[in-house]
Amino acid sequence: MRTNNHLSVVARTAHVLLLGPYLVTFTAWCNSHLRKAGTQIENIEEDFRDGLKLMLLLEVISGERLAKPERGKMRVHKISNVNKALDFIASKGVKLVCIGAEEIVDGNAKMTLGMIWTIILRFAIQDISVEETSAKEGLLLWCQRKTAPYKNVNIQNFHISWKDGLGFCALIHRHRPELIDYGKLRKDDPMTNLNTAFDVAEKYLDIPKMLDAEDIVGTARPDEKAIMTYVSSFYHAFSGAQKAETAANRICKVLAVNQENEQLMEDYEKLASDLLEWIRRTIPWLENRTPENTMQAMQQKLEDFRDYRRLHKPPKVQEKCQLEINFNTLQTKLRLSNRPAFMPSEGKMVSDINNAWGGLEQAEKGYEEWLLNEIRRLERLDHLAEKFRQKAAIHESWTEGKEQMLQQKDYETASLSEIKALLKKHEAFESDLAAHQDRVEQIAAIAQELNELDYFDSPSVNSRCQRICDQWDALGALTQKRSEALERTEKLLETIDQLYLEYAKRAAPFNNWMEGAMEDLQDTFIVHTIEEIQGLSTAHEQFKATLPEADKERQAILGIHNEVSKIVQTYHVNMAGTNPYTTISPQEINGKWDKVRQLVPQRDQALIEEHARQQNNERLRKQFASLANVVGPWIQTKMEEIGRISIEMHGTLEDQLNHLRQYEKSIVNYKPKIDQLEGDHQLIQEALIFDNKHTNYTMEHIRVGWEQLLTTIARTINEIENQILTRDAKGISQDQMNEFRASFNHFDRDHSGKLGPEEFKACLISLGFDIANDAQGEAEFARIMSIVDPNRMGMVTFQAFIDFMSRETADTDTADQVMASFKVLAGDKNYILAEELRRELPPDQAEYCIARMAPYSGPDAVPGALDYMSFSTALYGESDL
Amino acid sequence: MDLYSVTLEGPAPWGFRLQGGKDFNMPLTVSRLTPGGKAAQQNVGVGDWVVSIDGVNAEGLTHVEAQNKIKACTDRLSLTLSR
Repeated sequence: MRTNNHLSVVARTAHVLLLGPYLVTFTAWCNSHLRKAGTQIENIEEDFRDGLKLMLLLEVISGERLAKPERGKMRVHKISNVNKALDFIASKGVKLVCIGAEEIVDGNAKMTLGMIWTIILRFAIQDISVEETSAKEGLLLWCQRKTAPYKNVNIQNFHISWKDGLGFCALIHRHRPELIDYGKLRKDDPMTNLNTAFDVAEKYLDIPKMLDAEDIVGTARPDEKAIMTYVSSFYHAFSGAQKAETAANRICKVLAVNQENEQLMEDYEKLASDLLEWIRRTIPWLENRTPENTMQAMQQKLEDFRDYRRLHKPPKVQEKCQLEINFNTLQTKLRLSNRPAFMPSEGKMVSDINNAWGGLEQAEKGYEEWLLNEIRRLERLDHLAEKFRQKAAIHESWTEGKEQMLQQKDYETASLSEIKALLKKHEAFESDLAAHQDRVEQIAAIAQELNELDYFDSPSVNSRCQRICDQWDALGALTQKRSEALERTEKLLETIDQLYLEYAKRAAPFNNWMEGAMEDLQDTFIVHTIEEIQGLSTAHEQFKATLPEADKERQAILGIHNEVSKIVQTYHVNMAGTNPYTTISPQEINGKWDKVRQLVPQRDQALIEEHARQQNNERLRKQFASLANVVGPWIQTKMEEIGRISIEMHGTLEDQLNHLRQYEKSIVNYKPKIDQLEGDHQLIQEALIFDNKHTNYTMEHIRVGWEQLLTTIARTINEIENQILTRDAKGISQDQMNEFRASFNHFDRDHSGKLGPEEFKACLISLGFDIANDAQGEAEFARIMSIVDPNRMGMVTFQAFIDFMSRETADTDTADQVMASFKVLAGDKNYILAEELRRELPPDQAEYCIARMAPYSGPDAVPGALDYMSFSTALYGESDL
Repeated sequence: MDLYSVTLEGPAPWGFRLQGGKDFNMPLTVSRLTPGGKAAQQNVGVGDWVVSIDGVNAEGLTHVEAQNKIKACTDRLSLTLSR
């Protein structure tokens, strides 16, 4: 190519100016390879036209033999060679678009350069692989990696980044630091840098200059392809060293892998043994089935277990997992790196670990179950224990004081009703006790269950339960005893009560009887006859006959009392003492009995005395009677005789009078007899004799009769005397008298010497009085009666009768006459004055009148006028109104 | 024993004779009637007892007291009598 030197320089310069910097670069590159084949090119557009150097280039850079080139010089031979080259390129997987052999043969510069670039790209750059980054990026990466330590270098691309030249220097320095004194380089001197780099590269690295420093510096953006081409040469130059590095790296990698594997194995072993150790430690913990006593402890265990499950185990699970992973990874790695499989040491095999882990999980499950059961158990135990405590406490509080209560001796001093109350209370207590039986059994059942469930505090529970049961039995026994004692006492008290009642029932009537008897025995009797006293005596004897029976009764009653005392003593019954049914004490009974006994003979005596007395009385009676029976009739006879005399009509009144006087005398003479009788009577009275069956005549009779006799005789005499007077006074003749007498006697049917009103009326009528049977007549008769019987005796004596008769026929003063007399004194006035009375009448009579006269109140009255008319009528009991 | 009352219109005389009184130990009676008199017109009966005079019980009155009582009735005389 020297021949073409001159032309080529011009051409070259022109081409450089035209085709850019990569022309140089490309040429230099081609030559760097063609040098190995002992050839060079001068003009990249020309020298490849025949295809021979092209084929050579390809052979050099690929290391492969292409097809034999055509040695002909004709166009067709050239085209064939170029095609061979293109085919080879194509066979390397490069698509050659729009590059035809003919253009190359024809010397199309653009085409040729394009083809060269394609070749460079494919053979110098494409195969670059830096850490799995290839081609351009790989190359860039490589540059970056290599220049990384150089702070003033920043490779980002294949153009501007290289402008300061430091990039190239850094690359060189990186691999061959002795070749460049990098420290002296300056960024602001790109020319120096670039040239230094290019020189050193050419001289020491066998990299021909492919770039022009001036071009690079002068161009704003250096040509990427050119720089890439040049930099790729650096790569290839250093990649040899790189290869060593890579080899070393490979070894390192292999060794590292080995080391890694060994580490993994070691790790596995360690992890495995740790894990197994952990499992070994943990399993006993999980298999520990010692129960705790309290729920808290158990719950703590549960808590621990939970912690284990949540905090401690997961990492271990992770570890195991990791172990597995590691194992698998290790095995894979070993397999991939063609190593034998990893065999863990004895006991650390995967199966061992799995087994151990299985055991762990088994233990876990068992443990959890056990924990829960235990907790349940403890819960139940706690509950039961609490229940036990509660029930025991309640029961104990109930039994508190019951023993003392049962042992009370209150029944010893109780009365029957109190005992009954105590019994009732006790009954109630017994039923309460029975009700509590249940509870005790419950308590025992709970204690039993606690035992069965293995309660930790069973002993104390048991002892308490035992205490309770023992006490229960004791209570039962005490209850029974008390029941018996109460019943016994009740029975006793009832017996006593019965006895008391019996006593009372008998003592009361007996007492009454005795009191009655005492009364009777002391009874002062009043007897009037012998029969009576005899009757009393008989009664008394009868009474005496009842005494033995009574005494028996007394004994019986006392016997009852003694029985009570005996019972009280024998059974030490504490009695309130007294019989509630009666206040009659035995002493009282005995006392009265003695009294009765005493009184009996007293009465005997009294009766005897009385009997004597009665006999005496009888005697007196007889005495009296005998005389009275004489005297009585005598008096009667005399009365009759006197009566007869008084009504007889024959003889003169004087004769009657004499007769009567004789009688009088005889009567007087009879007085002593009366006196005697009186004497007898006195005796009788003193002897308190009140009756006398021996005579119908009482002393009173006699006395009365006697007095009547005396009176009668006197009256009769008086009557006769009066009759005489009357006869004389009124001049009634004897015959008239006899007529009166006859009438009177006729109507005196009962010969009493007196007339009853009817008798009298009849008498009047017979004597000519006009007494009509009408009201006027009645009034008249009443008037007459008032005259004849002013004393309202209800009868008319003969004397009165005669008086009346004589009056009627005589001139009598009447009210009218008196009134007429007053009128005269009053001077014919209808009233009279006091001074007139005083003038005409004697003083005392005048005063009498003045005092008694009512004031006159007629129309002609004057002060001091006295009404003599009403006064007159009043005198006679008759006034006309 | 029939009780009846009469009221005689005054003035007096009333036309009857009063007999009796406590002091005579006889009941106050009508012993006589003036024929056609006021008392007779009112069917007062002879022998009837005077029970009360002008409403006042006549039992226990003396003759004078009864007499005065009757005399005191000027306009009208009320009597209760008994047959």
